Amino acid sequence: MNRLTRKLSEIKSNNKKALVGYLVAGDPDIETTVELMKLFSSSGVDIIEIGVPFTDPIAEGPIIQKAHDRALKKDTSLISIFEMIEKYREFDDETPLVLMGYLNTFIYHKKLIENNENNAVDSILVVDIPGELNLGDYGVKSNNINTISLISPTTKKDRVKLIAENSTGFVYYVTLRGVTGSSNLNIDEIKKNIKEIKRHASVPTLAGFGIKSIEDAKLLADCSDGVIIGSSLVQMIEQGSEKKEFDRIGKYISEIKKAIS
Amino acid sequence: MESNNNLPDKNGFFGEYGGKFVPETLMYALDELENTYNKLKDSNEFKKQFYKDLSEFVGRPSPLYFAERLTKHYGTGSIWLKREDLNHTGAHKINNTIGQILLAKYMGKKRIIAETGAGQHGVATATVAARLGLECHIYMGAEDVQRQSLNVYRIKLLGAKVHSVDSGSATLKDALNEALRDWVTNVDDTYYIIGSVTGPHPYPMIVRDFNSVVGEELIDQSKELFNTMPDAIVACVGGGSNAMGAFYPFININQTRLIGVEAAGNGLQTGEHAAPLNDGSPGVLHGALSYLMQDEAGQVKATKSVSAGLDYPGVGPEHSWLKDSGRAEYVAVDDDEALEAFHQVSELEGIIPALETAHAFAYLETLMKEFDDKSNIIVNVSGRGDKDINTVAEIDGIKI
Ligand SMILES: Cc1ncc(COP(=O)(O)O)c(C=O)c1O
Repeated sequence: MNRLTRKLSEIKSNNKKALVGYLVAGDPDIETTVELMKLFSSSGVDIIEIGVPFTDPIAEGPIIQKAHDRALKKDTSLISIFEMIEKYREFDDETPLVLMGYLNTFIYHKKLIENNENNAVDSILVVDIPGELNLGDYGVKSNNINTISLISPTTKKDRVKLIAENSTGFVYYVTLRGVTGSSNLNIDEIKKNIKEIKRHASVPTLAGFGIKSIEDAKLLADCSDGVIIGSSLVQMIEQGSEKKEFDRIGKYISEIKKAIS
Repeated sequence: MESNNNLPDKNGFFGEYGGKFVPETLMYALDELENTYNKLKDSNEFKKQFYKDLSEFVGRPSPLYFAERLTKHYGTGSIWLKREDLNHTGAHKINNTIGQILLAKYMGKKRIIAETGAGQHGVATATVAARLGLECHIYMGAEDVQRQSLNVYRIKLLGAKVHSVDSGSATLKDALNEALRDWVTNVDDTYYIIGSVTGPHPYPMIVRDFNSVVGEELIDQSKELFNTMPDAIVACVGGGSNAMGAFYPFININQTRLIGVEAAGNGLQTGEHAAPLNDGSPGVLHGALSYLMQDEAGQVKATKSVSAGLDYPGVGPEHSWLKDSGRAEYVAVDDDEALEAFHQVSELEGIIPALETAHAFAYLETLMKEFDDKSNIIVNVSGRGDKDINTVAEIDGIKI
């Protein structure tokens, strides 16, 4: 069974909430990304979401945009990311790995994804395709890689059903109208929408995009199957990368983990 | 707004190009826009208002003007100029904004956003927003804010706010990214007036249709002035809206060659240019699959052109389709050739063209050799060059 599916069902049967941590591959460089991934999983991250840098990341706010730029300056590509993941897998063959990125880079590296050596990657989230579609619709047949689709507060009811049924990893509920790292969570709306999604989805529904604090994480975990933390981690990586001091990150992750358990 | 082919299809594709490649948050907004447009576009009331505004506010129809000295200069055929530079605000861009602001009004949107490169679309958007008293925000790359400062000030005078965009290459592509991010954030009350035949479906179709008034007028004017259809229409291609507007009504008129001129910047062979149809490959940017300047990792390449309005790595999907189907031809001229044409047309015709338009003029040097005396060649004069005076003066080493 795919690591992601296994992990999510394990979390569910233990009555726990999933914690997904996001970072951008190659930020500050690809070697450090491997170290950060180890730190993530040892501090309590259940699923690691790896941002694939792109020149034009239209769904990202300033914090993650800058991380994409830093990674591109280091010539990070999907090729180096697959190599990095292979290295990481020597240490950790348990933690599900999700690639999150933009269609153009995935189409360009169709072969890499179709090979997916040793099933190292578990899932792919393509930000800029409609939720009812997946990479297969663009000619990229992926072996044992499942699909994570986005549903947003503006998704119409008839599409919620289509998208929920299309998601084979988890449904990613975008908690706000906006780019990653914004802040204007409307908890009542979120609760209502996640409830609607759960009526249709056979996979768990996780919430992300606007979670900035431990309090946000707790609020959202209460009404979903788990939370995705992105911008606040990427910001800490930016702040710590000069001296490669990442202790704060581990602490932050374990505090969130505690808060949502 | 006649239809000459049945494209795009219901999913927004022109052959394999086009589509809707956007974050989920925007899907409903695009559906809403498409439904509104489909409902309004054939209604008499909407058409009446659109053409009334074009006539009374923009000053349409724009003349088709015989360029006597330019014709003499080349010595063959007859060169005719479609004078979009005479439109209110000085470019073809207003045809589109006049139409889209009507859609915005109908949809009850309170806030207007747009991206701009040369600033002409920013001015045209700020203009129609001012006319309706709507809040307006224009995104513009920091580099373009510098080189098109005249238009920046015009936009401000019209009561809109200019947001200078520093990310990426700080040009049109990045302004578009930022406008899309604004739209994702404020999608409920905001209408995004995209400035070219680019972006996700239904924009390429809508912007084409509103600009098609240019080609429609050309059909009538050609009959009247030289009694047949033209042998060629030449237009510059950035995103491709002035070209598409001129070409579209001619798609089924096979005697007319349709020629789009891209910006070759420092030269096609240097790789430093903005000519995806000449030297790019299909890829996804800003919501559509189309020819794109990209590297071997699928990353979008930086562009180079003296003309801010052409300095864009992508192109409207319908042009990609017209290229592959062979119905239109796409060529490129470099910065030096465009600058030479800028001076040439100013001196020969008393018309200072926009640097974008100068690219179309520059191609006459090659094209006119292919025609005989009886030929009629139309150049779409997409805009006037006032905005470019500072850029050209600087290149010529002159301080104003
Ligand atoms: C005068 C003029 N012509 C042409 C263009 C290029 O746009 P398009 O290719 O959409 O006509 C611009 C864009 O700013 C412009 O201002």
